[in-house]
Amino acid sequence: MPPPSDLLQGTLDMLILKSIALRAEHGWAISQRIQQISNDVLQIGQGSLYPALHRLEYKGWIRAQWGASENNRRARYYSLTAAGKKQLEAELENWQRLTGAVNLVLNSSF
Amino acid sequence: MFTELGSRIKFFFAGKKRLEVDEEIRFHLEREAEENMARGMTPEEARRRAAIAFGGKERAREECREQRPSWTLESLWRDLRYGLRGLGRNPMFTAVAVLTLALAIGANTTIFSLLDQALMQALPVKNPGELVVLSFAGSSSGHTESHGGNSEGHRHEFSYPMYKDLRDRNSVFSGLIGSAPASAGLTWNDRAEGVSVEMVSGNYFNVLGVQAAAGRLFVASDETAPGSNPVAVLNFDYWKSHLAEAPVTGKTILVNGTPFTILGVAAPGFHSMVWGQLPEIYVPLTMQKTIQPEWDYLNDHKSYWMDIVGRLKPNLSPSQAEAGINTLFTALRTEEFKLLNDQSASAKKAFITNGHLNLEAGARGFSPMRDSVQTPLTIIMGMVLLVILMAVVNVASLLLVRAATRAREFSVRYALGATSGQVLRQLLAEGTLLGLAGAAIGLALAPEALRLLIRWMSSTDNGDHAFSATLDWRVLVFTILATLVASLLFSLAPAAQFWNPKLAEALHQGRGGTGGSLRFRRTCVALQIGFSLLLIVAAGLFVRTISNLRNVNAGFPTDHLLAFNLNPALAGYSAAGVAPVEQRVLDAVAGLPGIRAVGATNDEDLADDGVSGDVLVAGYTPPPNDDYDVELPWVSDGYLQTLGIPLLAGRYFNAGDTATSTKVAIVNQSFANHFFGSAGAALGHHVSRPRRPQTDAMIIGVVQDVKHESVREPPHPTSYTLFAQAERTTGLIYYVRTWQDPDAAAKSIRAAITNLDSKLIMGNLTTMRDEIDMNLMAERTIALLATAFGILATVLAGIGLYGILAYSTAQRTREIGIRMALGARRATVVRLILWEVMVLAGGAILVTIPIAILATRAVRSQLFGVSIADPVVYGAGIAIICLVAGLAGFVPARRAATVDPARALRTD
Repeated sequence: MPPPSDLLQGTLDMLILKSIALRAEHGWAISQRIQQISNDVLQIGQGSLYPALHRLEYKGWIRAQWGASENNRRARYYSLTAAGKKQLEAELENWQRLTGAVNLVLNSSF
Repeated sequence: MFTELGSRIKFFFAGKKRLEVDEEIRFHLEREAEENMARGMTPEEARRRAAIAFGGKERAREECREQRPSWTLESLWRDLRYGLRGLGRNPMFTAVAVLTLALAIGANTTIFSLLDQALMQALPVKNPGELVVLSFAGSSSGHTESHGGNSEGHRHEFSYPMYKDLRDRNSVFSGLIGSAPASAGLTWNDRAEGVSVEMVSGNYFNVLGVQAAAGRLFVASDETAPGSNPVAVLNFDYWKSHLAEAPVTGKTILVNGTPFTILGVAAPGFHSMVWGQLPEIYVPLTMQKTIQPEWDYLNDHKSYWMDIVGRLKPNLSPSQAEAGINTLFTALRTEEFKLLNDQSASAKKAFITNGHLNLEAGARGFSPMRDSVQTPLTIIMGMVLLVILMAVVNVASLLLVRAATRAREFSVRYALGATSGQVLRQLLAEGTLLGLAGAAIGLALAPEALRLLIRWMSSTDNGDHAFSATLDWRVLVFTILATLVASLLFSLAPAAQFWNPKLAEALHQGRGGTGGSLRFRRTCVALQIGFSLLLIVAAGLFVRTISNLRNVNAGFPTDHLLAFNLNPALAGYSAAGVAPVEQRVLDAVAGLPGIRAVGATNDEDLADDGVSGDVLVAGYTPPPNDDYDVELPWVSDGYLQTLGIPLLAGRYFNAGDTATSTKVAIVNQSFANHFFGSAGAALGHHVSRPRRPQTDAMIIGVVQDVKHESVREPPHPTSYTLFAQAERTTGLIYYVRTWQDPDAAAKSIRAAITNLDSKLIMGNLTTMRDEIDMNLMAERTIALLATAFGILATVLAGIGLYGILAYSTAQRTREIGIRMALGARRATVVRLILWEVMVLAGGAILVTIPIAILATRAVRSQLFGVSIADPVVYGAGIAIICLVAGLAGFVPARRAATVDPARALRTD
């Protein structure tokens, strides 16, 4: 079992996994995508993006390959591995349960 | 989970290239800049903004690296490298610390290895955990041949019929084996020598799971009718050292003159089911009468002579098995009881009701030797642990002193952003490096030290010893663990000092306050003094013990006295031929030049041996339940005169007392006082063994008490009779009193015996003094090692004291300068510093003395003729400590006093 990660790091991992769930992306595109989709609410400190990517790669959840970028330059593309897909599912489920529970508490009328 | 592990392992080795990370980051920045330019920024502005948005590039790179699975190891490697560099900068300090640790760890490994072999290692046999040692409680009547190792309710000798019944009728053992040790004469290619024999049951090797190195070993069918199967198996070491591993299967050797066929050789490493016994050949138990011609044990229920070990059936605990087998034991004892003379109720109670068979865990083998080495080894191990503690304190205080000079280095590190954890880690790394270097040298020294020690302990003969000079895994694990714990302990001393984020502030306040608190340093000094005083006191007590034991008055002069043993039966002489040849040996030796006198006995003096039993004195009614055992040596007519035991009344034996004349006895003073009240009253009385009227002898003389069993034991009541008038024949120990150096006579004695009959085997030719020393081996070993450790501890304490004092005196240079500027003289300054040292030493000594007295109580049983509070020992110990402390303090004090006050005031 992976060690329980704190909420922030775990959340960042989940966001990264989710953003490359459909197709491989390079680091810059991942940060852009998270920022855009969240309407600029979630801005990833760029300095923490790459350590996170490396960490995920070392865990075997994502794999990196060199590829050509949209402007035809060499870039490192990250995609999910099978283990990564499983991990993403597990984290999503966990997240839903957690937010659901928090919502229940917040919405209850004391 | 496995994918993750696999991935981590892959990256652990492959890693990722630095350049890849750089390229990735560069790409990111360029892409961001492009995006910015697309929003209309100038290229310069776009790049600047991208860089700002990204944050610290170097930091990101660093953090990427820290994600690597191998990061922990890399940082450990870095710490070790720093540590090495740090230690290399201070070679003198490093050498002293490593040497200190190496000596302590080497001593520790050596002694622990002995302890491990004696007390922990299992026998080299199959599943040793299933073995149990049998012993019994309950009375016995008849002859017991004890090999030692007995305690109340645990007698280890059994009769052969009892063994056979237990073996064949039990339901708890998958195998039950028996053995008994003996000496025999072995003739091989016309060369005769004395060897140790183990008489073993037929199933012995099978049940132990010992394989043959050549030929075959015994099987159950080799245990035949008494005397009908003369076959032998050789011990591997004997085969290797004496027969050069030549093919021996099927060859014939003479054992006590009887031809035996060699079946094979036992596997290397195996000696016996009894730890400490080193037989050279094995023969079936059923050949007992050939090996020990004077005894006939095999059909006798009342001869207790063999040790039994069982292999439990799997899944059976010793206590379950014990319950199971005692029903059988009681039944067997009930049958045996019918054979006894005394059928009274009390005898029945003692024999049957109180009878009980014990099964005790036997993985390490039964061993009387273990009992005798356990206490000495434990004492020595205790001393070694003190030495280790001492080394730890020593290195800790050295590290502390060194740390003081590194305060700046560490404050710079903190200033550069090192965390407390990192600093701590580095200190630990340095400590561990010191420890490991010490351990490496210590381990390299240990086998040699072990070899020397073992050779010293087996000083006389061929060096065969139950201990071997190899270190096994347990010793290595123990040493490494001890090293790591010790390293942790001494590294923490400076760590406690530097694990301090406010160090930089502390530094600003000047040089005070670093180098460990004064109290901590004083504690180190006091501990060192205390430990070394403890060890010096222990050494002193044991040295006094050994010198007391050596100078003990045995009751007869032990100088110019040679001893050897000789048993004609081992050369194949029949029972009738033994006594005449023994008389011829006595006459031949007596006729040699330079010989004052010669005598012989079957009961070796001062060799921890005894031949004793109860006696019947005509006209004396013993009080009920009187258990008065008497030493019963059979001697030659010249024995008492040769030893020089003074006559108190009556006469000595003389040549007129022969095999056919009236049987005569000489008793000692204790004997005479017990039975007759005085020496004179004993003469003319008759003494015999109970129920053996043929042993009746008339007391013709009374001699003074002398020490017999050992120099420690008080004299026993003794009744000497003549071997020529004894019931049966026996081998004898001969004592030769010489005019000159006894060693010079040895050669001519040897020649005379060979001349008499070349088949006769002389054993153990040695001087009485050496013999006594051999029997004081345990005490001498403790004394030797205690002295070595005492010296080591004193040297360590001296080094440690000097280190600390040199440092603290240097710290006080300014103070001393002021004092001298104010008119203090050099002598006053020296006195000032020495006074401080002596106060410290005095305090430590005062605290240690009661601890030493308490601690030495535990070793009281090993001491002889010296009180645990012996003033000479303590006085000498205190004097040595004061001398060392004084020397250690004097050198730095002198240096401080020669300081030029003007310069001292200007420093810092």
